[in-house]
Amino acid sequence: MIRYWPALASVLLSLGAITGYVAFLRVPAVRNHPELYLLAFAVATVIAAAATWQAARWPNFVALGLSVVLLILGGYFNFVLAKIPPAPAVLRVGEPAPDFTLPDAKGALVSLAAFRERTPVVLVFYRGYW
Amino acid sequence: MAELQGLGAVLTELGDEGVQILAISPDANEKSQELAQKLRARYRFLTDRDLEVTRRYGLLHAHGGNQGQDVARPTTVVLDRRGIVRWLQLADSIQVRPDPADVARAVRQLGS
Repeated sequence: MIRYWPALASVLLSLGAITGYVAFLRVPAVRNHPELYLLAFAVATVIAAAATWQAARWPNFVALGLSVVLLILGGYFNFVLAKIPPAPAVLRVGEPAPDFTLPDAKGALVSLAAFRERTPVVLVFYRGYW
Repeated sequence: MAELQGLGAVLTELGDEGVQILAISPDANEKSQELAQKLRARYRFLTDRDLEVTRRYGLLHAHGGNQGQDVARPTTVVLDRRGIVRWLQLADSIQVRPDPADVARAVRQLGS
């Protein structure tokens, strides 16, 4: 078993990257750097490929297969599925935000203009679930 | 709920300086508002049901929802008292969320 430690390290690195990302999703430094899990998958792939090159045994193939699949799926999610196409630049720093009036959770109308000369405002547009 | 708790923490950090957070989505609901009140955050959840304001702000992510529906591009905007945009974070990936520390810094720099 000892001679398969690179394969084992590769698998643990891949699984650890997934677990870590999910467990620390609330931490902006983790959440906003998805390239970290891709880096982990890439390193796991290199370790497993080197191990397979040294000894073409099944544990090494398993580790290589797992890390390659995760690297492809993770890359596809990160670079294709999760990408948002560029938007027209309506908001610019230094320019006024367009006014609006929208209902709050209880149906009361809230107007952006109502906060002018009173308080700074943070607008958070989100995808509809938290 | 990560964003909500995070931005709630920003408000706690900034103290009672009177920053108003307006959280805008197509389906803001009372549950979100109740949670905000529990966190004592100065949040108002606004419903942009047909995404009219989101579109006007140039923040529509067409077919970006998990059922292919239109959603908003996750965006955080800091406005000063005059309603001028002072700080802006537009996500280019659905994975990215505003970092409360960045928002807090931007609010502090308003020098209110």
